[in-house]
Amino acid sequence: MPKPCSSHEHLSRRSLLKGSLATVGGGTVMNWGGLFNSDAFASEAKKNNKRCILIWLNGGCSQFETFDMKVGRSTGGPFREISTNVAGTRVCELMPQISQRMDKLTVIRSMRTTEIDHPQGIYSMHTGWSKSADTRFPEIGAIVAKYCGSAESDLPNFVKISSQGNAGSGILGPQYQPFNLGRDGDLPTFSKSRLTPELESRRHSLRDFVESTYAENHLAEPVRMHREAYDRARRLNNVLSAFELEEEWEKYRDKYGNSNIGRRMMIAARLVEAGVAFVEVGQSGYDTHADNFEGHKSLIPPMEHGWAAMLDDLEDRGLLDDTLVVWMGEIGRTPRINNRSGRDHYVRSWSTALAGGGVKGGLVYGESDEDGVDVISDKVTEADFFATIYTALGIDPTTENYSGVRPIPLAQFEHRVVKEILI
Amino acid sequence: MTRSCSLVTLVLLIACLTPGIALSEERLRDVIDRHVANAWKANDITPAEPASDAEFLRRVYLDLLGIIPTHEEAKQFLDDPSSDKRAKLIARLLDHPRYSLHQADVWDMVYFGRNPPGFGTDKREGFKDWLAEQFDKNVPYDQWVRKILRAEGNTVEQGAPMYYVQYKNAPEDATQAITQQFLGVQLQCARCHDHPFDEWSQLDFYGTAAFLARLQVVDIGKKKDEKAYAIGEKNLGDVMFTGPVQSDEVGKKGERVKPKFLSGDSLTEPTLPEDFKEDRNFKTGQMPPKPKFSRKDALADWITQRDNPYFAKAAANRVWAQFMGMGIVHPIDNLSSNNPPSHPELLDELTEALVDHNFDLKWFIGEILNSKTYQLSSRGSSEAAKPMWYQRARYRPLSAEELLESWVLASGYDKVLEASKQTTDKRLDFRGVTWNYMIQFFGAPGDGEGVFQGGLSEHLYLNNGQVYTLISDRAGSLHEAISKSEAPWEERVDRLYLQILSRRPTAEETQKFVEYLSVDDDQSRRLTDAIWTLMTCSEFRFNH
Repeated sequence: MPKPCSSHEHLSRRSLLKGSLATVGGGTVMNWGGLFNSDAFASEAKKNNKRCILIWLNGGCSQFETFDMKVGRSTGGPFREISTNVAGTRVCELMPQISQRMDKLTVIRSMRTTEIDHPQGIYSMHTGWSKSADTRFPEIGAIVAKYCGSAESDLPNFVKISSQGNAGSGILGPQYQPFNLGRDGDLPTFSKSRLTPELESRRHSLRDFVESTYAENHLAEPVRMHREAYDRARRLNNVLSAFELEEEWEKYRDKYGNSNIGRRMMIAARLVEAGVAFVEVGQSGYDTHADNFEGHKSLIPPMEHGWAAMLDDLEDRGLLDDTLVVWMGEIGRTPRINNRSGRDHYVRSWSTALAGGGVKGGLVYGESDEDGVDVISDKVTEADFFATIYTALGIDPTTENYSGVRPIPLAQFEHRVVKEILI
Repeated sequence: MTRSCSLVTLVLLIACLTPGIALSEERLRDVIDRHVANAWKANDITPAEPASDAEFLRRVYLDLLGIIPTHEEAKQFLDDPSSDKRAKLIARLLDHPRYSLHQADVWDMVYFGRNPPGFGTDKREGFKDWLAEQFDKNVPYDQWVRKILRAEGNTVEQGAPMYYVQYKNAPEDATQAITQQFLGVQLQCARCHDHPFDEWSQLDFYGTAAFLARLQVVDIGKKKDEKAYAIGEKNLGDVMFTGPVQSDEVGKKGERVKPKFLSGDSLTEPTLPEDFKEDRNFKTGQMPPKPKFSRKDALADWITQRDNPYFAKAAANRVWAQFMGMGIVHPIDNLSSNNPPSHPELLDELTEALVDHNFDLKWFIGEILNSKTYQLSSRGSSEAAKPMWYQRARYRPLSAEELLESWVLASGYDKVLEASKQTTDKRLDFRGVTWNYMIQFFGAPGDGEGVFQGGLSEHLYLNNGQVYTLISDRAGSLHEAISKSEAPWEERVDRLYLQILSRRPTAEETQKFVEYLSVDDDQSRRLTDAIWTLMTCSEFRFNH
């Protein structure tokens, strides 16, 4: 079993005990900041730090043009298979770099999900649940931010770069909302303060007075959220340099491939290194109802180049063991090739991949039939998939949060953790 | 003293006991207060104090007009000693020209949301203008909904057809939206599978979709220099149903589904002659001909008829929630046996009253706003944004429109534009502030289900963005008025608070602001800081 991740919620009890013991006499004041900054706590937090990067293929990438080829069948398409650095495993020729890093990947060829259209699929492949009228399920990014992130960090715990999740933090609350970077990983407009620190601080003193006066007798949640978000906006000012990666990009451009998606992957690696718990990088354009093959030919190579570079980079920096890299879109594509050389939406049988923290490498899990129409072994539903990811990250998938008074587990009630792919 | 008291009581008692007076003439506002108070009692809840005049003033301006009052209006109302000034204000605002404008903003959001994905939705001024006209004339709700659903005319001149136009070639999406928005019924689950514990089956979904399957969006050329569309309806065409998505197979043929109302009744429609042939397409540039029999009109009439079990209830609940925060059924568009109302009798009485008053929304809104329940304070210990028992006022983030227009008024930027002759007829997009940014940062402050989630980027805009353009020291601005004034600082701080927060400051606030502002060093910037602070604080951000 993987070690539990280092959520502050998680660690606080033991550390708190230590903290209270150290404080002699009654009426101990819980010194959260002090505890967190204690050396013991910090090193423990560092040791178990789990991180997650999600590569999101918006529109639904084809399994036939990536990890589950059906060469020679009518559903197969025009591309060839190539061998990989794992004996017996073959992937699409569009992925020469990834083929040489298959020893780091677990591919799941037996996804069976429920939502066949984009908005619903994007929702369910970000939350692990189908949309419901009365529960606001949180996205995986918000969940990882909550259970693996640090509340004390000035950096946001959930960063999105040009990606499409549509559920947000849901019932977990706005402190876990994503921080959205632009398509090149640039900071959002208006990130930089227009005032000198002295003037900003003077202005803040007045605003702080106004807000705390109001807060005395207006205890409603949105007011608190509004205050907290303001504080985070101020704190972000302290860490803006973490997002200034132009020089890094100059250095690493060739390694990652000179593309938007490559750049996003590099930024994701750097942010994870800086301590961001969850980064999602998006690439759009996979909804290839027409010209599926041309589409994948232009989309996959830059993506797989950047992906491979990111895995190497994380490994070189000693981060890969603690960083789970998830690769998926919201749906797969049909076995049947339509009369526009396209493939339509398909959820009966498709593929995803995982690498790094907590999962085995060099593994193919599950199997589809010879035409890729149906799963023939080891079906993985979205409930199973998310429960497995959470487990790999050291988060118990049955952990509950509340929607009003209703307890809501992280993963759907009926799920199977795919233990076979976990370390 | 005691005797006159009991005399009064006696007279009241008699009045109450006289049949036909008190009971049948209980005003809706009193019905509301009675039911809400009963629920407090049953649930052992202590309500908040009544709202102060200032709290009420700002709330009712924002709710009815979508903008804060001017400082003159605020002063006048706060200084008015008469006891019926609240009722008078409600009546005056309901007849204010901005009332229809703001209600059109609100309902446009209901039907389109903030970045609607549908066809042609970026240009829908025709629809909004048409909505405003309905509110301006106080057209009964059922009548204007029928116009939307019958989609008569074109999108530019009449506006109403825009509703269907957004669902071009997507009758399933239209089905989902119509049932949810007009009937409070959620069929979206039934789109792909029979709902495990709801009453709706997939055949209900496709039975409703069958009414809409024949609709087509027809390009009828330009009207008023805008591309205009109309809704055409074919005589033939059906919805095919292939069974649950999960057991869908490639190449499986579906079955024809006949139109069926959600009441369970099937549609009776004239049969067409066997050899009936239809033109393949409607002609571009021309209004499409009417079909021999309109399924769409049959659906529109069924939805809006008085005894439709969902229509009036969904409307009463939605309008209630617009002003009270929580729907009595919440979420408001889910009237289902799995989602029972918090105050069932109140919802029934509201529904009945709305029907009895022929869907007169102005009257209905006036009654809600005149209730003691609406006029409670937002102070109190409950942390909920929208308390379920209405024990205190709800917190609602200002919409992008409300925020921008209120900022303009608060900062005096309207007067700046006037003084510099830069006024335009563009309501929301003018020099200095980019409306697209407003939409980006404040357009959807909720999570889609009405829960406030204002985040980091909103504050980055507030802290570092264009709010500063509004707080200029140019002629006409609040900044100029305050800095040029020779009145004592206490009075100037009064003006700041009245103009921005529509109330007078407390002694503590006056002291703090006078301290901050009366320093000689860097005075202009300090004044900017003070105005910015009041324009970006929680008290301004929410309607409460």
